[in-house]
Amino acid sequence: MPEITVEGLSKTFGQERALNDVSFSVHDKEFLTLLGPSGCGKTTTLMSIAGFQRPDEGMISCGGRIFYDQARKVYLAAEDRNLGLVFQSYAIWPHLTVFGNVAFPLKIRRMKKDALRRRVLEALELVEMAGYAGRYPHELSGGQQQRVALARALVYSPTVLLLDEPFSNLDAKLRERARTWLKHLQTELGLTTLFVTHDQDEALSLSDRIVVMNAGSVLQAGTPEDIYHRPATRFVAEFLGHCNILAARAVTAASSGSTELVLAANGQPITVPGDDLAAGDEVQLAVRPEAVELTGHQPAAGENTYPAEVRTVSFLGDHYLYELDVGGLPLTVTSAQSFAGPAVTVRIPPSACRILPA
Amino acid sequence: MSDQAQPGPDTVTMVRPAGYAPAAGARARRFIPETGLQAAIWALVLVCVLAPVLPLVYASVQSKPIYAVGRVFTLAAYQQLFADPAFRTAALNTLEFAAITTGCSLVLGAGFAILCSRTDVPGGRVYSRLFITPILLPPLGLILGWNTLYGPGGYAHDFLNRTLHIPVNLTTVPGMAVLGTATAVPVVFLVCQAALSGIDTSLENSARSVGASPLRVLGRITLPMLRPALLNSGLLVFMLSIESLGIPLVLGSPQGHDLIASYLYNTWSSAITPDPPVVSAGATVLLACACLLLLMRSKLLGDQARFVSIGGRGGRSGAAGGMQLGKSLRVALGVLLGLYLTATTFAPIAALALSSVVSQLTPLIAPWHLFTLGNWRTIGHGTFAHSIVNSVEIALVGAVVTAAVVALATAVAHRSRFRLRRSLPFVLLFPRAIPGIIIGIGFFWTFVLVNPPGSALRNSIWGIMIALSVRSLTLAYFVMSAAFTTVSQSLDNAARSTGASWWTSITRITFPILRPALFVSFILLFISILNDYDPALFLVTPGHEIMGVAMLDAAQQGTTGPVAALAMVQVAITIAAIAIGGRLFGSTIRGNRNA
Repeated sequence: MPEITVEGLSKTFGQERALNDVSFSVHDKEFLTLLGPSGCGKTTTLMSIAGFQRPDEGMISCGGRIFYDQARKVYLAAEDRNLGLVFQSYAIWPHLTVFGNVAFPLKIRRMKKDALRRRVLEALELVEMAGYAGRYPHELSGGQQQRVALARALVYSPTVLLLDEPFSNLDAKLRERARTWLKHLQTELGLTTLFVTHDQDEALSLSDRIVVMNAGSVLQAGTPEDIYHRPATRFVAEFLGHCNILAARAVTAASSGSTELVLAANGQPITVPGDDLAAGDEVQLAVRPEAVELTGHQPAAGENTYPAEVRTVSFLGDHYLYELDVGGLPLTVTSAQSFAGPAVTVRIPPSACRILPA
Repeated sequence: MSDQAQPGPDTVTMVRPAGYAPAAGARARRFIPETGLQAAIWALVLVCVLAPVLPLVYASVQSKPIYAVGRVFTLAAYQQLFADPAFRTAALNTLEFAAITTGCSLVLGAGFAILCSRTDVPGGRVYSRLFITPILLPPLGLILGWNTLYGPGGYAHDFLNRTLHIPVNLTTVPGMAVLGTATAVPVVFLVCQAALSGIDTSLENSARSVGASPLRVLGRITLPMLRPALLNSGLLVFMLSIESLGIPLVLGSPQGHDLIASYLYNTWSSAITPDPPVVSAGATVLLACACLLLLMRSKLLGDQARFVSIGGRGGRSGAAGGMQLGKSLRVALGVLLGLYLTATTFAPIAALALSSVVSQLTPLIAPWHLFTLGNWRTIGHGTFAHSIVNSVEIALVGAVVTAAVVALATAVAHRSRFRLRRSLPFVLLFPRAIPGIIIGIGFFWTFVLVNPPGSALRNSIWGIMIALSVRSLTLAYFVMSAAFTTVSQSLDNAARSTGASWWTSITRITFPILRPALFVSFILLFISILNDYDPALFLVTPGHEIMGVAMLDAAQQGTTGPVAALAMVQVAITIAAIAIGGRLFGSTIRGNRNA
């Protein structure tokens, strides 16, 4: 039921267009991530939903309540939106104890003392901080502060949870644990959650759906698999994980579901699926490094198979990263196997090629 | 920590259900709409700042005092003012006084700042603390101390004139400017020191590494970078100089050397018909000059202030990266700084202290022959005792009220979506530009015009309290706005997001976090209101004297001993306030850390 709908949101700061017709919705109990580089408008979007930024145009509603509607001149104050918000800096009040921090939202709602105490302790238990109720924020580690912020945002049963890069101040190890833990909590409580991050790993591992943003606009929305395997634009392809972008030109019109192209860099033929290209079309192919098959030097060549030379190899623990030279075309490939090189053979499976609009 | 442990299913169901209506509860709490409250605070500040100005201007274009009948609109007061040769002399004197004061204090203040923060002069760090003491000490006490020591018949006066044959006469305009300089040096010193600490010493060191001599570095690197600070503090000192009242009243005026402020005061208090419009006209002229200077300052500093703040990011400066003076130069400069501080600050206060326990302070008779506690007994009762109680009362209540009002106003200016919030900083900076006597005369007319409660305020100490509080609004805003920038806006946004109204998040989150800053501003306001006196000169009514007014009155009648004792009381209360403030402030911080 508590579904966030954002429609046609626009916002300009001076000359700069911070949001450009942003529309998406978060379904009930869904974990949706706004992903994008810094300055892409994701935090402005989140803060518009929370009520700390007033957009110039558009509409925001949540579970049937209109938060903001420029056309109807509706603007609900931040404190009336009943959302749970976790700030990037956590914003734990330094003059209050952990208990005081979590109790504050309930005190505003004039909850009776006993009920308040019970509820605060429940919320602290939920984030495994019950033992720290009497501590002050400066006596807590970053991870603990973050969980207090979460308890404070959950204690009054807000309709949805908004998280603004909550893990960016944690170190890498802690971040991974916090991620698992948050996902667990979210699933258990069935919380409708809107999460903002610039970290693709976070986005991929946590989200039910991802909305990729850049320069104030939504580029693509979909499940993590969808976005990763079928990026709609070159920006999305490159922003999520590594990606080889190969320029190519169609030589024959599509037949039987596949198209023949020629790689611009080395003139080699390449076959890709799809049949909506005409001869002479210039396109870009997105190829994930892990999708390329790498073998030792083999004389026989098949479809999309090319001889290549190893330029550099990096050992990354569970795999190797190869920078290859495919007859003048630079190609990044990962493989679990080690190859002595320098001569190797690569095969780019047609299914691994994603055609991007040029 | 056990991040991996999973929440049990029962806790899950307990947090989830919403058994009450949270948002509705939050709204029920808001009795007054947020904008109404913010508008009320905004309006209060605006009224306080404009209250002394508008009635003053109005009074200056009337043929008779505002309370008299049969008034007509006229510019006669201005014609009379400009026709008066005494006014022209006072205006020229004021210009001379302000020019000498500004020039000398710039040279000395900037020089001391460079010595203390850029060289290895001995005791530089201690000196840099001591240099700013005259700002905290009661200005009138310092003036009276100078008069005791360097004035006609003072110890140092005779020593300098007769023994060293250096002609020193504090009662002339250049003489008054010497004292003016001594009181203005701390202002220049503070501004320059702040600027210097914002400039990375590596900028100077790199010049030296390419072969520039220390003097060359000073002339080509350090001083050019100080230019905005010099401009800023120079204009500030000039503004303060043209409104000087205490210095001419104590020193020059009795010898016929008036500045504008003392001319206006004397005209006011000795006029045949009371409260003449000509004084309002003169005050309006002075106000116009002050506003012009303020405008000039913001215009000139508009671009340069930005340049100063960029430097704020630079590395730390200090003795470590400073220039090394030669050994003999080092010692000589160190001794010179010590002598300067002694002569300008400590000796006058000591002379004041000595003067308070003798029947007469004179170089002709050894003071122990004239020892008496009579002066202290005199101030133990009557007008003097009353004035102490009144001053402390005014300062306490005024500081609390002003701190509260400015804290709220700063919250509106920096933490709200109120439409006119951006105008508040300008409004709050304005009282700094209004000369003290204008606040005095202005409120006098305001209380006449707005009655009730005008005469009730005028016939009690609260009218003076309001005037002195308005004058200290700017000081409070400086402290508050700096404090607000240290508290992240996300802290009160977090409160808003959990359902708190503007008022709740300000009073329950922001102010408690700012407790130390609120306390510091309370102490500073207490000191400032306690030691201020020029607005009160025009508002005082019998039985409602404050210390400064009582001292000036008595000093003008030639009473020295009790005045010195009263000044010492003022100094003592000030030092006690600083000490209590420092201690409590320290423990507050410690308490917050350990709690």
